[in-house]
Amino acid sequence: MKLPRGQLLRQRVVSDLGTALSAVLEEEVTGYARLEPQDTMLLDTDGVGVLTFIDGVPVVAYHTGTDTAGPKALDEIAVTGPYRIELYELEATILAEIHEDETLLVAPTLPAERLVGDPALIEQTREQAPVSRLESHEPSEPATAVESFLSDEERIETIQQRARADARAKAKQWGFTPEQTDKK
Amino acid sequence: MVEAFAVASGKGGTGKTTSTLALGMALADTYDVTVIDADTGMANILFHAGLSDVNTTLHEVLAGDASVDDAIYERFGMQVVPCGTSLAGFQEADPTELRDVVASLAERTDIILLDSPAALDSRTAVLPVVLADRVIIVLQPTVPSLSDGLKVQEYALTYGTDIAGVLFNRVTDDEAIADISEQAERYFEGDILATVPETEHARGARRAGKPLLAHAPKSAAAQQYRDAVQSLDVRDGSSDAVADRFRSAVIPENP
Repeated sequence: MKLPRGQLLRQRVVSDLGTALSAVLEEEVTGYARLEPQDTMLLDTDGVGVLTFIDGVPVVAYHTGTDTAGPKALDEIAVTGPYRIELYELEATILAEIHEDETLLVAPTLPAERLVGDPALIEQTREQAPVSRLESHEPSEPATAVESFLSDEERIETIQQRARADARAKAKQWGFTPEQTDKK
Repeated sequence: MVEAFAVASGKGGTGKTTSTLALGMALADTYDVTVIDADTGMANILFHAGLSDVNTTLHEVLAGDASVDDAIYERFGMQVVPCGTSLAGFQEADPTELRDVVASLAERTDIILLDSPAALDSRTAVLPVVLADRVIIVLQPTVPSLSDGLKVQEYALTYGTDIAGVLFNRVTDDEAIADISEQAERYFEGDILATVPETEHARGARRAGKPLLAHAPKSAAAQQYRDAVQSLDVRDGSSDAVADRFRSAVIPENP
């Protein structure tokens, strides 16, 4: 999925996407957000998540590392925070071509459900989404996403291994001593 | 005796501060409890505990401008040590002093609850998890929260800190949570301590400047926190050992 660069509105590092998605919604941004994971600096890169918006409402999700699209891309993005988020403004006519690809589409409320899980943000997104877009998507079941995540033992093992490697590398970097972490 | 718990989540918005004070109040029925706002960059506890008007906070203690005793407030049956909200207060606060503050409190309380930063990206953020005896992980039943909770657990275990258990908070889907809870239990050490429903009372409590257990003591959420404490099985640790550990902690010069 290729997008023109657009105009950079802001960039920052966040651990929780709730505030960012809420601001995009409130400001009715048309464009896209590039989400780059930050906690893998010591490991192989995980790829970048991309979310597009029309008037603040999410339309398309894509993940470059795994080449996944739609709801699956959201699942990839969900496990990689904190993120460096770059928000770009882009004209709706330029986004239109990408938005025609049905494999990339997500239900308007799905990013709020899977990436944030805040009932208030889900409701605000639903209120702001065009009725046609709400009707074209089956009601989503966030619980199913969680259950599918928890049944994927391999994926969880990967998260655990990476976190352990990260924690060990950072212990050295931060100067934690064995005495300090020995509580037995 | 003393046992230090870090209440941590990895991700923000899980209701960690609400949970810290709720668990603190429930534990205070049996133990002498001290709650410390270890999230020095984002003061929360003072709003939740009706302390927004106080002059002396942990920031002044960490800046060397006040003694620990001046920043301890008796509220709702607990000792509460809040952080202040001013940027200047935060900038002047020297995080290296936190170890001595906690060490001195360890000598005179049964349970220390450290409300930890919702991040793992700096030494200061991770420190409560490193220093605590055990971690209570507060999760929402969402993929990002579970993923971050798994990371918190791995950090804790890598640094020799046990997991006391997992608390699911802000639960909206009552039917699904039983299955989610059962599945999650396979990956987390310790028990699933409780599943606390999403409740308007949590917002109401914060507006009223009271912990949830004081604002809505009969709510289903409050009962869940009381049940959680029953499963916690507090250990009888040595006050000296905890105090020494905090005193010997290496804390970053540039957090």
